[in-house]
This record gives sequence, structure tokens and C-alpha cells, in this order.
Amino acid sequence: MPTALIENAAETAMLMCSGIHMSFGGVPVLKGIDLSLEPGTVTALAGENGAGKSTLMKIASGQYRPDSGSVEVRGAHLPAGDTRAAASLGVAIVPQELASIPELTVYENLFVGVEKRTPFGTLDRRGMVREAKSRLAGFGLDTDPTVRMGSLPVGIRQIIEIVKATSRGARVLLLDEPTSAIAEREVARLIDVVRSLRDQGVAVMFTTHKMEEIRAMADRVIVLRDGSLVSDTALADITDDGIVTAMIGRELDNLFPDLPPAGDQVVLEVEGLVAMRGADPIDFSVRRGEILGLAGLVGAGRTELLECIYGVRKPVSGRVKVNGRVIKPGDPLASIASHLAIVPEDRKGAGAVLSLSVLDNAILPRIGAFSRWGVLARRGKQGKVQEVMRSMRLKSNGLGQTLEHLSGGNQQKVVLGRWLTGRVDALLLDEPTRGVDVGARNEIYRIVTELSAAGMAVVMASSDMPEILSLSHRAFVLRGFSVAGELSREQLADPGVQDVIFRLASGQDASAQAQEAQP
Amino acid sequence: MNPATTGTTAPAPARPLAQTIAGFLLRHIMVVVMLLIVAFFMYRSARFGTPDNLVTILVAAAPFALIALGQTLVILTGGIDLSVGSVIAVSAMAAAWSAKNVSENPAVPPVAALGAGLAAGVVNGLVVSRLNVPPFITTLGMLTLASGLAYVIGNGAPINGLPASYGTFANTQFLGLKIPVLLMIVAILVFAFVMRSTSYGLRIYAIGGNRLAAEIAGVRSRNVLFSVYALSGLLAGISGLMLSSRVITGAPNLGQGYELDAIAAVVIGGASLMGGRGTVWGTAIGLLLIQTINNGLDILLVPSYWQSVIKGVIIVAAVGVDVWAARRGR
Repeated sequence: MPTALIENAAETAMLMCSGIHMSFGGVPVLKGIDLSLEPGTVTALAGENGAGKSTLMKIASGQYRPDSGSVEVRGAHLPAGDTRAAASLGVAIVPQELASIPELTVYENLFVGVEKRTPFGTLDRRGMVREAKSRLAGFGLDTDPTVRMGSLPVGIRQIIEIVKATSRGARVLLLDEPTSAIAEREVARLIDVVRSLRDQGVAVMFTTHKMEEIRAMADRVIVLRDGSLVSDTALADITDDGIVTAMIGRELDNLFPDLPPAGDQVVLEVEGLVAMRGADPIDFSVRRGEILGLAGLVGAGRTELLECIYGVRKPVSGRVKVNGRVIKPGDPLASIASHLAIVPEDRKGAGAVLSLSVLDNAILPRIGAFSRWGVLARRGKQGKVQEVMRSMRLKSNGLGQTLEHLSGGNQQKVVLGRWLTGRVDALLLDEPTRGVDVGARNEIYRIVTELSAAGMAVVMASSDMPEILSLSHRAFVLRGFSVAGELSREQLADPGVQDVIFRLASGQDASAQAQEAQP
Repeated sequence: MNPATTGTTAPAPARPLAQTIAGFLLRHIMVVVMLLIVAFFMYRSARFGTPDNLVTILVAAAPFALIALGQTLVILTGGIDLSVGSVIAVSAMAAAWSAKNVSENPAVPPVAALGAGLAAGVVNGLVVSRLNVPPFITTLGMLTLASGLAYVIGNGAPINGLPASYGTFANTQFLGLKIPVLLMIVAILVFAFVMRSTSYGLRIYAIGGNRLAAEIAGVRSRNVLFSVYALSGLLAGISGLMLSSRVITGAPNLGQGYELDAIAAVVIGGASLMGGRGTVWGTAIGLLLIQTINNGLDILLVPSYWQSVIKGVIIVAAVGVDVWAARRGR
């Protein structure tokens, strides 16, 4: 059906992608995508993390050069990897990370690169302010164009970015996760802006994780799964469940290994922990062999909570016990000595030292065990590292290879595996499969399940819903650095649980849902 | 290090000999550059290749070697120490002043020089690691401060008329080599071992490669950062003692601009100013390269201003060749 749709649309399409293939480091991310966007339509691009949404957006906007396939804008070929050409053809992207310049004012941001000038060649500031004001008013914004961009809320900045793109003649607008970082009230505003653009004949495509935004904004839904386009329908023709099923596919059944039962002995205790001033204290304990999931939206405080437990950051108050002993707050070395380990969210920024070899990365957290009188015993002790990395099925050219040449999944195996040459009683995982392809994801799930079966207590923060649903014995939903609700294994198995989690995480009907969710 | 692979990757295909040789040369491109420069000078001057001249080069290299080693550690953490030249001056002045005003005991000047150098390094280390002031700013401040102090100590003039024993340190021969040269050789060997085979060395590489990741892995990065600046100061103190002992004078402009040659040596040696990448052997090569050029141009009677111009070109060209070779060699 998608092919037929494209053929009919060939003359009217604003943007047409055909046969897009793309891979990073040998891992295919997009496997032959065909799609076309028509004027005056809003298309939602749905899919799990790692399905290829952002990559497709970047190819459609001319930022990435696809391995094969082509992009056409109103019949004209979009030169790959040329953002200026894309702009002149009328394609604009508002990226996930804002591209505005916070130190400049609103009108300077709107006009940077296409400044208005006086006859003397100096900047016509008054003219730019006037025009900025009328453009913003056209989108229902009464923001003063002379204020600093950085002083505005993220949502307003996002809308100003959209104003900037469309005022420069964009007829195809790509929004990558436009609502991921903005407040409820601003989402409504953004929806209005998108609708008015559609009425002006702009072709809009956006990515989102939230079902209600798909419902509110889109005319059409395209679902990507593991780099393939698996569904392309009018919004009216598909149910929410249909979208979720298309996103997750059948893999959910076999992607996750069976979860062994948790033990009884308490390993990790968190008492009255406050990660951010003003949040409610958090209390919980994790038993041997138990996996506790932490769900929530971006900015809900999952990462901060794990960092407080491990000691990368100091909590406002509260304490952490491992095996009944209080560990010194804010001191990773003390945590390591108490057999606590962490796999951070930001693998490249916090997890591994990419310029070091696999072996040296593995030695680092266990440096005491690998040295004598301060002299490293690399050769004598490397058997243990070798053994662990083999059990993780690490693909590398030996332990001497530096991490920067490994794929994301293999880097993640090193970041996790380096702890396992010594004793670990409690393991903190923060987005353990972010940026990891499906094959390696499966192996990481297997490893985590095996570790918990061997008696490790695991706390796992994840934005990946199936991960929380299938890999935890229990889950907390966090919002505003506080626990918004707790879900038992039985509740996690319930088909309607995704919706409950969404509501808890976003704060809709928070009180009612939280009560319902409490056991 | 270990031929066994941890995964299912196929072994590297056998490469033809020519390619293997080319790969080897690319990986050791600085040695090749060094040999070319040596060959050029030997061709132009009969005096250059003599054993006497080799000793001259090594003697000149010794004080540079110490600060370049300290600089290597600092740069590996991702920092920089601009103050070493001035710390040399203030240490030399402290040593000369103590020899004149405190005691004739030959042990006093070394204590004064090392103490002054260590003190400057400790201040740098505390400001960088505890107050989180960027290393560039911290050590730029120390450069100015220490340079001023060097003049303060001598009331704006060199300290002359020192006892002959003041020259013992730099001018005594041992095993056929002068003490500074021996010290340089020992220091290079020790630092090469420390950076390659000790947990301290690994921690320095880790901090420079990714400070947050190192901290999460249990490295106390503040302590390590403090130590590299303190060490750099201490080495500059020894270097100041060497230089002033050699001429039996304390001159407040001693060591001026040495920090730039030290940084150049580290960078020529393949280190990244972003940290995490570089070796002690690389620095040793970079150091010898610069000293060989200085010496060769002197022998060819090139005027000093032109020497400066030529050296500038060679430093940038050497690093350019290194970057090119690194890309080709991969």
C-alpha cells in the first residue's frame, strides 16, 4: 500500500523519500524507507528508541547523507549532506536539542544569517524588531522580541524556532521530539502552531513518544520498527493499540528472557533520599535477585536518583545502605568498596574512557585488585577480564583495542562487564540499551537477567517501556524527583499498564492513578 | 598484547612486507623526522656528529627534559602548565639567595630551589583542583606572579658572587656523564614506567580521557590533578637549580619562555592538548628534536632571530606530519 500511495502522490508531494538505506558502524539503522509528505498534512513518525526516527528526520532534512536512496523536494533532488540547499528548497528541521542561540535576543535569533540592513549597511534593528513582533503575533505569541532567548521557557523557544524556519520560506517542517522537554501548557500552544501551519499548506512531520500528541496533531501515522517502515495509515484508521503493536511488533515475546523470581534478603536500602530540593523523600529497598524498574519522562529525576545512590552527586538528604551498612554519600570509591556498581546513561560522557583500551577500562574501577604497591599487574590479571568479556560475548580485536573503535553495544558491554571482575551486590543501570542495536540489546537483557539470577540487586532506569514492563519485578514511576506511583509485577503484566504509566509520569489524574496503582 | 580475540572477529589478513614497513614508519614518523634532521645537520657540518656535540645537546636538554616530563603529565590530564618557565626563575633565585644569605652548606640551595618549585606547584594544584579555576588561567597567573617574585628576590638584579660549591650540582661528572644528564635519563625512564605500568599513570590517562567516567570508576580526580601540578612545579624547581648551578649565578630571567618549548616537545611527541593521549617516549623524542634543531642551527651560525623563525615552522610542520601519518597509518 505505501508504494501505491507514493505513486499517486508523486506530483503533489512536498517531500519524497525513496529507498533510504543507512547504517552506522556496520549496524543498519534504516532499511529501505519510502515515504512522501503532502502539503497541508501533519504526519506523526512513531517508533521505539533506536527505531531510526531521528536518523530518518536528519536524512529528510539533508543533514545526513544516506548510504543509498534519494530525497526529493517538490520534484527537485535534495543534495545529500547539504543543509543550505535544504533550506533554500524549503525544508527545515527543529532538532531535539534546540538550535537557538541563548545569548542573543529573540529578534536576533530570528534574523541571524538574513539580517536586515539600513542603506548604510548597518543593522536595521528597529525594522527587525518590528517585523519580529508581527511574525510572532501571527503565531499568537506576544513575546517581546528584544528579550534574551535564554530567558524564555524551552517551549516558547521551540515555537520561535518554528517561526524562524517558516518565515524563511520552509514548506516542509520536521520536528524531532518537539514536546520532550516542554511543559503541558506549552504543548497546547505548540499544537495550535502546528495546526495553523497545516492550514497554510505546510507539510509537517514530527516524532513523539506520546500517544495523546499523535491524536491531537497528526492526520497520518507512520511507524518505524528496527529501521523498516511497518505501518503507514491515516490516523482515523488505526487504534492506539494498533500503533503500539506496530511499534513493538512480536519481538516483545522473545526479546526478553524469562525473569527468574527475586530472593528475600534485602541488599540495597534507600532511606528518605531527596535528590532535588523540594522533592518528596524516596524510600525503597531492593532484594537479592530483584530488578526494580524506574520509569518516567525526561527530567523526572531518574538519572539524578541513581547518581545520588551511587555517590556521583550528593543528595540533599537521606542515606543509602548496602547489606545493612550505610555508605558515605558523594564518594564513588566508598560505593565501589561497598560492592555497588553503576552503568551510567551517558556512555560516552560518563561510562567509559574511550581513549583507553578494553583492558584499561576494565582495570580502572578495580584498580586495587589489579595492582600491587601501585604497580599494575596487567598481564597477570588479564585472564579474569578475558573471561568476563567472553561471557558477555564482546566483539573486539583483543583486550588492547581502544573503546572508540567499538560499536555502541560493545562499548556498553565493556561498561557493564568491567565491574564483574569483582564482587557486585547491587547494580544501578541507567538506560542500559540506549543507542544499542536490537541484537546487542537482547544480549544485554540476557546478561542483566543472569546477574539478577545470580543474586545481584538491580535498579534499572529506562525510557524504553517494554524494558520496564518485561525486565522488572517491580517498577516506580518518577515525576518531579518524587515517586508518582509503584507498580507490582502483576500490574506490569496488565495490558493497560502503559497508559497508567504515561498518566503517572505526566501527572494527569496523578492522585487518582497513584491510589489505584498502590498495592 | 594478547593475540587471542575476545570475540568472533576474524584475524587480520596478512599484509605484504612493503605495507608493513610503511605502517611501521608511519607509526614512528617522529623518529623518521628526527633522523632526517640529524642527517641534514651531519651533511652540513662535520662538527655536528661528534660525541662532544652529542654531550652538548644532552646537557642543554636536561633542564628542558624535567619540565617537559612534568608538562606531559599535566597535558595528559587535559590541563596545561604555563608557569614552569617562571618557576625555574624563582627557584633559581631562591637557591642563589639562600646560598648567599643563609649558609654556605651545599645542601641549602637545592632545598631552597625544590621548596620554591614545589610551593608554586602546590598553589597551582590547589587552585586548579579545589577552586576549579581553569589551568590556563591559574598557571598564567602563576607565570606572572613567579616572574615578579624572581625579580623581587634579587631586587631586580642577578645574584652573583656565589661560592664555587654552588656549581657542584651541575658540573660534577659521574659515570662519565654530568649529573643533570644522568638525572634526565633516570627521570625519563622512571616517568615512562610510571605512566605505563602504575595505577597512578592509568588514573592520569583516565582523567584526561574522560574525567567524569574516571570519577565514577572511583578515581579521586582532585587528588590526581593536584599531584600533577605539584610535581610539575617540583621538576621546574630542579630544573631551575640545574640552570643556575651551571653558571653559578641566579638570574631572574632564567627559564624565560621555556614553558613554550616544553609544551612544543609534548605536542611534537604526539600528545593531545585535550588530554588522555600521549606518551613519555613521545615527549623524549620531541624534546631531542627541539634540542637538536637548536644545536644544529647554532653550529651552522644561523642568527638567533632566524633560528626562532625556523623552529616555529618546524614545530608546526612536525605536528602536521604527525597528524597526517596518524590518519594514513590507521
